[in-house]
Amino acid sequence: MKFFSTFLTKIISLLAISVSLCACVKDVDLEQREDIMLGPQVQIDLLIYNIDQSKFMDPETGDLKTRISDTVRLAFLDDDYIQKDLTSVEFYFRHINTFPREIESKIRFLSNENSEQFAVNYTIKPGAEGKPVTTERYELIEEERIDLVRRSIKMVVELEVQPGATAFQGELDFASKGLFTFKF
Amino acid sequence: MWRLLYLFLILCSTVVAQNKPLLFNVDDLPQTLMSNPGAQINFTGHIGIPFFSQIHISAGSTGANLYDIFAEDSGDINDRIQETMRSMDSRDYFSVNQQLEVISLGWKLDRRNYLSTGIYQEMDLFAYFPKDPAILVNEGNSNYLNEPFYFDDVSFTGEIVTVYHLGINHKFDKRLTVGARAKLYSGVFNVESTGNTGRFTTYTTPEGRNVYNHEVVDLNVLVNTSGFAPLKKEANMTVEQATAELLSRSFFGGNVGFGLDLGLSYILDEQFILSGSVQDLGVVFQRKEVENYRYFGSYETSGIEPLFPDLDENDQAIPYWDIFEDEVDRNLRDRTTSESYTTWRPVKANFAMEYGFGPAYLPCHYLSEKKVRYMNLLGMQLSGVKRPKGFVYTFTSYWDRKIDENQRFKLSYSLDDYSLTNIGLMYTRTFNNFNVYLAVNNLLAYPNLAKAHSASIQLGMQLVFNDNNN
Repeated sequence: MKFFSTFLTKIISLLAISVSLCACVKDVDLEQREDIMLGPQVQIDLLIYNIDQSKFMDPETGDLKTRISDTVRLAFLDDDYIQKDLTSVEFYFRHINTFPREIESKIRFLSNENSEQFAVNYTIKPGAEGKPVTTERYELIEEERIDLVRRSIKMVVELEVQPGATAFQGELDFASKGLFTFKF
Repeated sequence: MWRLLYLFLILCSTVVAQNKPLLFNVDDLPQTLMSNPGAQINFTGHIGIPFFSQIHISAGSTGANLYDIFAEDSGDINDRIQETMRSMDSRDYFSVNQQLEVISLGWKLDRRNYLSTGIYQEMDLFAYFPKDPAILVNEGNSNYLNEPFYFDDVSFTGEIVTVYHLGINHKFDKRLTVGARAKLYSGVFNVESTGNTGRFTTYTTPEGRNVYNHEVVDLNVLVNTSGFAPLKKEANMTVEQATAELLSRSFFGGNVGFGLDLGLSYILDEQFILSGSVQDLGVVFQRKEVENYRYFGSYETSGIEPLFPDLDENDQAIPYWDIFEDEVDRNLRDRTTSESYTTWRPVKANFAMEYGFGPAYLPCHYLSEKKVRYMNLLGMQLSGVKRPKGFVYTFTSYWDRKIDENQRFKLSYSLDDYSLTNIGLMYTRTFNNFNVYLAVNNLLAYPNLAKAHSASIQLGMQLVFNDNNN
């Protein structure tokens, strides 16, 4: 009995010493914490509109205004996460046109002082009543040009109707979004 | 008597809980009274060495360990984080529990009653992995179109309390011992956010006005805090300083609560013993230094719509962004209040069945009333803790062996959410009246704790008296 007690005591002591000596953290490199970053890719809707010929009429004369525009302030472009952590943006613009004429679309991004940072210009293809035609455009702003987005705060949408003989009637539908990629 | 026993066992099995299973039913140690005030005990008095009679810390993570994230030479750490987050689910959890006995003492009142009292400090942190919000932050919505991100996944509790307690262990008859412990909680710090709702979804809308529609539906997230507001006022406070500040308030926390532990043990026959306990049936009334942060509402958007107004150069442009922001603020609101709230302590319960063999002829037992003592005890213990999404269970089987009158060990094997290979060892030794003990869980993990999902240790020293003439 005494032998058994002594044996158990020694075994437990040995086990306790082994555990305390062996306890360690290995096969890991905690320095890697410096490399940890969040890299979300966020899809965000931007501007939308759906307009018909009435938006192109001069309210006083009733004549066709060939050029209309509007400006939307995108205040989030000034936020910290854009200024510090944005790495790229892929813009997507889509027009669905039933006007029977080409329309020049200019999408400009301006700074707070109205200085143009970059612009995306393209021609919207003509459609017809009941036969909408879709024009799409992607614009990728990568790391080397990302400061252009960071300096922007306003988005200007501008439409210029091209001359033509057909009656100017129809609808123009606009959708836009951005895929914003961050590294926090 | 049997009715009482049945009632208690039903209570235990419905609120079955976990807490330091290696110290449960160790009748040589006063700490056994902290997990079962109705335990059979084998001492007539004890005085803990202040601050050293019990030091306990346990930590665990069911979903990931250090190696999963920081493994050497395994490629990009961010890929591993992404992979790990995807493999976890919203019922995975992280927990940290720490206890420090400040004062512990007890003495035998008469042949049937043992009184014990003391003060201990406890920190308990428990957080479910907030999978959906975490993936939204880490990966964004681009790869998860048409999939909702649920804010229900946000569920966590944390508290630091000082506990003042007084317990009685009463030997009802030769078979039954019952016990109760009253507790006064002094809340130092509390944070809780449970029962949240809401979802955020980015829908593709081929027939819609824009490419996507962003929807926040039924958002209702509430974070209650107490003891946190003063910390915010201290600018540039580090985590260490904040922790030190919180611990310094341990004795004067101000948020008071009350609780109760109940326990019993019953000798079925000479060799079978049943025991069970429920701990921390209690509440803390959070009334001081309270701040509640609530985020609520619903909103959907497909973008901002310019109207192409007929403006001349002197006209002000329409403030679309301000209008949009106002609309968002009207629909997705946040509110900070100072409303008192009540928190339930995480209820713990234990139920154990033991079989004794190898009769003991230890001098301390031979003439004592508690004749049924064995050199070996084989036992099974079911235990658990009540957490916001349900009970967290542990099943433990053990061999409890008295080596001689001064030494004892307990070897255990536990099944729990963390591991299927949790082997624990408790060893206690008494030199005259000076007792030391050490209990360690998950022994197999110690050679490389980086790969462990949990670890737990309890150690302490105290004076334990055993006067058999009383």
